[in-house]
Amino acid sequence: MVKFRIRRYNGKKSYWQTFEVPAKRGMTVLEALYYIKENYDSSLAFRASCRMGICGSCAMKINDRPRLACETQVLTLGNTVKVEPLDNFKVIKDLITEFDEFFEKHKAVKPYLIRKNDNYAEPKELLQTPKELNEYYLFTLCIKCGACYSVCPAAATLDEYLGPAAMTAAYRFCADSRDEGQRERYQIASSPSGVWRCHLAMECSEVCPKNVEPAKAVQLLRRKTAFSILKSLLGW
Amino acid sequence: MSVSGWFRFKGRSLFSWAFTFQRLTGVVLLIYLLAHLTYLSTLLDKTGLTYESMIAITVSRQFLVFDLLLVLCGVFHGVNGFRIILHEFGIAYENRKPLLAIFTIITVVVWLYASYIMYSLTGG
Ligand code: HEM
Ligand code: SF4
Ligand code: FES
Repeated sequence: MVKFRIRRYNGKKSYWQTFEVPAKRGMTVLEALYYIKENYDSSLAFRASCRMGICGSCAMKINDRPRLACETQVLTLGNTVKVEPLDNFKVIKDLITEFDEFFEKHKAVKPYLIRKNDNYAEPKELLQTPKELNEYYLFTLCIKCGACYSVCPAAATLDEYLGPAAMTAAYRFCADSRDEGQRERYQIASSPSGVWRCHLAMECSEVCPKNVEPAKAVQLLRRKTAFSILKSLLGW
Repeated sequence: MSVSGWFRFKGRSLFSWAFTFQRLTGVVLLIYLLAHLTYLSTLLDKTGLTYESMIAITVSRQFLVFDLLLVLCGVFHGVNGFRIILHEFGIAYENRKPLLAIFTIITVVVWLYASYIMYSLTGG
């Protein structure tokens, strides 16, 4: 039996509740949560979808670290497992946090290819060498789980801060050889809620379940943004 | 949210500690610098006696421990600051863990050396 201490919230007050789950090899924290929901308390709320580490729905704080519940083996965690909602997000109910703002920030950096003249009547193949792909490939792996945002001290102190995930998305497109929207994105990145708010605590890279290295992306975006500002100041 | 966000360590890596200490030591240095400048710029005594009497306190053996702590703040802030600047230029990002260890060792070595010299200077 493994003890699950779960931080719950019912809209008014927040409290801890403990459940005992018969854990066996191969069981994930997400499966344990389903076990609790099906056998003890059907009101337990959490978010999950793919159960295979690809949708980014199930990030939560497990034994003090943000992790994907569906990718975390119960038996690696000891006899007691502490489960809490992510930090830096508003809690809606139990382990479910408000992600609207996080997705708004993602949208704000224009995370799509911008082309100056796209001709849909005569679509053209955009070629790319493996080297060009490698410039940004790592940063495409982000699943928008919010783990990075939840540990960021800049996001903790400034609600408007775009955060590591959104800026990783911005860099991912700026570094794409097919993209022509860099200037627009650099402007967003150099706003008061952008790259200059990062103080390189680097905790985001430590917790990212996909090893995306968001802190590195923010620094690379910062460098590009700085050069772009310099260039526009010099009128190039 | 508030500045308490700077002080969350549970489940965090050493990088969060380095970040918080950079902040704290930065604030300590800032307060020290302000106090230092305020003191020096308000000295009205042209004979230099007020200055001498203050210096006499600060170089005393009893005061040494505060001096050493201030130097530790300064050395940590400078050395760790250099590490941050390297990474901010995108340099050696993949080696951040060994680098943190190396820079911490440099901090301790420089501080111990400075402590030894200061201890000798106070007549040790
Ligand atoms: C060797 C010289 C120095 C270096 C290399 C250095 C480097 C740095 C770096 C890299 C940061 C982190 C910035 C960030 O969080 O993004 C920082 C923060 C800070 N430094 Fe220094 N610093 C130096 C000297 C000083 C001095 C002399 C003072 C005091 C007057 C000072 C006060 C501060 C303060 C208050 C902060 C916190 C603000 C912040 O985190 O943004 N620093 N320093
Ligand atoms: S960068 Fe990593 S931690 Fe952040 S949202 Fe993307 S996958 Fe999650
Ligand atoms: S349920 Fe999709 S990532 Fe865990």
